[in-house]
Amino acid sequence: MASTVLFYLFAGIAIGCALSMVYHRNPLYSAVSLIGVFIALSCIYVTLAAPFIAAVQVLVYAGAIMVLVVFVIMLLNLDHDKPVTRLSYLYAIGGFLGVVLLAQTFFIFAVVKKGPKADIDPNVTVGETMSIGMNMYTKYLLPVEIVGILLLMAIIGGVILVRRLSQPEMELVVEHELELRHHEE
Amino acid sequence: MNTILLQAISNPDVNLQAILPETIVAVTGIIVMLYDVFAPKQKNVTTVISLIGLAIAAYFMYSMWGGGPTTSWNGMIANDPLRISFSLVLLFVAAVTILTSTVWSERETVPVGEYHALLLFATFGSMFMASGNDFVIIFLGLETLSIATYVMAGLRKSDLKSNESAMKYFILGSFASAFLLYGMALIYGATGTTNVALIAERIASPTFPGLLLMGGAMLVIGFGFKVATVPFHVWTPDVYEGAPSPVTGFMAAGPKAAAFASFIRVFVIGFPLIGGATAAGYLHESWVTALAVMAMLTMTVGNISAIVQNNVKRMLAYSSISHAGYAMVGFVGAGVAKTPEVRDAAIAAVAFYLLTYAVTNLGAFSIISLVGQKNDRRTEFEDYNGIGFKSPVIAFSLSLFMLSLLGLPMTAGFIGKVLVFRPALEAGSVMLTTMVVVAVVNTAISAYYYLRLIVVMFFRERTTDWSEPKMPVGVAAVLLITIIGVFYFGLFSGSWIEKFVTPSAPTAVQAAK
Repeated sequence: MASTVLFYLFAGIAIGCALSMVYHRNPLYSAVSLIGVFIALSCIYVTLAAPFIAAVQVLVYAGAIMVLVVFVIMLLNLDHDKPVTRLSYLYAIGGFLGVVLLAQTFFIFAVVKKGPKADIDPNVTVGETMSIGMNMYTKYLLPVEIVGILLLMAIIGGVILVRRLSQPEMELVVEHELELRHHEE
Repeated sequence: MNTILLQAISNPDVNLQAILPETIVAVTGIIVMLYDVFAPKQKNVTTVISLIGLAIAAYFMYSMWGGGPTTSWNGMIANDPLRISFSLVLLFVAAVTILTSTVWSERETVPVGEYHALLLFATFGSMFMASGNDFVIIFLGLETLSIATYVMAGLRKSDLKSNESAMKYFILGSFASAFLLYGMALIYGATGTTNVALIAERIASPTFPGLLLMGGAMLVIGFGFKVATVPFHVWTPDVYEGAPSPVTGFMAAGPKAAAFASFIRVFVIGFPLIGGATAAGYLHESWVTALAVMAMLTMTVGNISAIVQNNVKRMLAYSSISHAGYAMVGFVGAGVAKTPEVRDAAIAAVAFYLLTYAVTNLGAFSIISLVGQKNDRRTEFEDYNGIGFKSPVIAFSLSLFMLSLLGLPMTAGFIGKVLVFRPALEAGSVMLTTMVVVAVVNTAISAYYYLRLIVVMFFRERTTDWSEPKMPVGVAAVLLITIIGVFYFGLFSGSWIEKFVTPSAPTAVQAAK
């Protein structure tokens, strides 16, 4: 009973925040509303006995990804232009995608209702941090090691691409490119 | 609790021997990276270190033939001919790419050490794509390979085309990875496992059959992007044109072979035909049909678009699309095989085809890097006008590679094509026979643009000056290896094909004739 009440509470918060995110013109308000959606979702995860995913949701989405989004908004300085008329055709596409998503949701709902019912086993520990950690260092040891190499390589790649290039050389090739274009025309 | 935990942690199914080649490649990458930090002016030391590392890895990979357990790491690593043959192709591609890029790293200011490290990490990822028997490993391998390749495509930072190439590849590649991951999640939802072997067992009675089909479709899109099949090929020409030529050669041979290895493992081994099971049967029928249609489209669109190109790199990009189509003919042939022996022979044919394509294509791209000069500015057909008798070594070897790509008898390309077309033809179904006919017609179409390059080189007058590029030792070695390879695989391929098919008993299958 308590979990049902909690579910409706958090689901309501999530939907409210989502509406507010779409409604606001100022992208910064939208971003803040999105944080609300993420936190409400993570609360629902807690009630579903998945504390690890709840924590990761807050850390990664509400934390890291939102910082990125806010950074981009700040850098682009979006609140000056008002692209209302220009994007009117997007309403049709958005509406269509919304209908598709809604249909998908009801489809999944119907299939799950119809499908075989499994009893809830109170001893299952799948969502717990402990069991995830256990699996990471036993069954999924090799993937964790590969992720180590992957992250190392991604860091090196990022550094290579952003490292400063000597300026004269940059100008030279860009000018050469322009010259070629000119030549072609 | 603590003792149970300790036991579980100290006793996982760890088999370091099984991933030794991959580990060696990764460790070599780290050594190269560290060496470059302390000696940033070097050009050739990391080349040598990388080549030695790749050679040792290849040796251990080769020695795995016919020994060791079939799976390890809780079933995540498969040790079968599919893995070993594809991994050897990938190691070969990496070694030749490193040799080719000596020409480029000498005349331009590229961070050589980091480039070699990235290439080695990319090879590490691609080898896990070949050996991964679990969606988790396959996806991580793919991401390692892809991210390294995105960076390598944009390595020439001062070149706008290179930036464009990296940007397009990155955005579209991430998009395709998302499709792939979604497909994997849906398949997991339908079967409750990410292990390819277990999926093959449970596919007969999936929890949600609909998810199985949707997941399969998503996987086709994701892998189809990575191997550049029509209609997921649009990124290829721009990315291949903008990336530095040695990297383009690598992208056309390495990631394509790795993606084919996972593609084949997931579909041929993971989604087999199971008698009496409706969902599995439907899935099998749909993926075979979808891939057959895609193969026909890929070959036709690739070849016809290649005809109208004026840039050699773009021409080879479309040619690589059409070659992915030829390889898919063998792939579909493996999908419809009735017995495991026929299936393994067809998989080996695809691996061998990609080996011959890698040999030929890397040779061609080494010459394009050589002729391209600084920043790859000379890559139009006009730049090859009349160089035939002025630089005979370059012109004759490039002609040989074009003839091998075309599939002229006595060259590697011919044997490769015969082998991949055979299983599809022997399956006897109308659709597959049509596919082979389309493939043969396409080979005829492709003659136009391959021969065009030869005609341009030998029979066209040159209007501008031609100064023969100095050939570094690395490129000379590449030419030697690839020319010998083209003739060797064209004339004496039997023993290699036997090896690719059966690891333990090399005399069992006579696939050459």
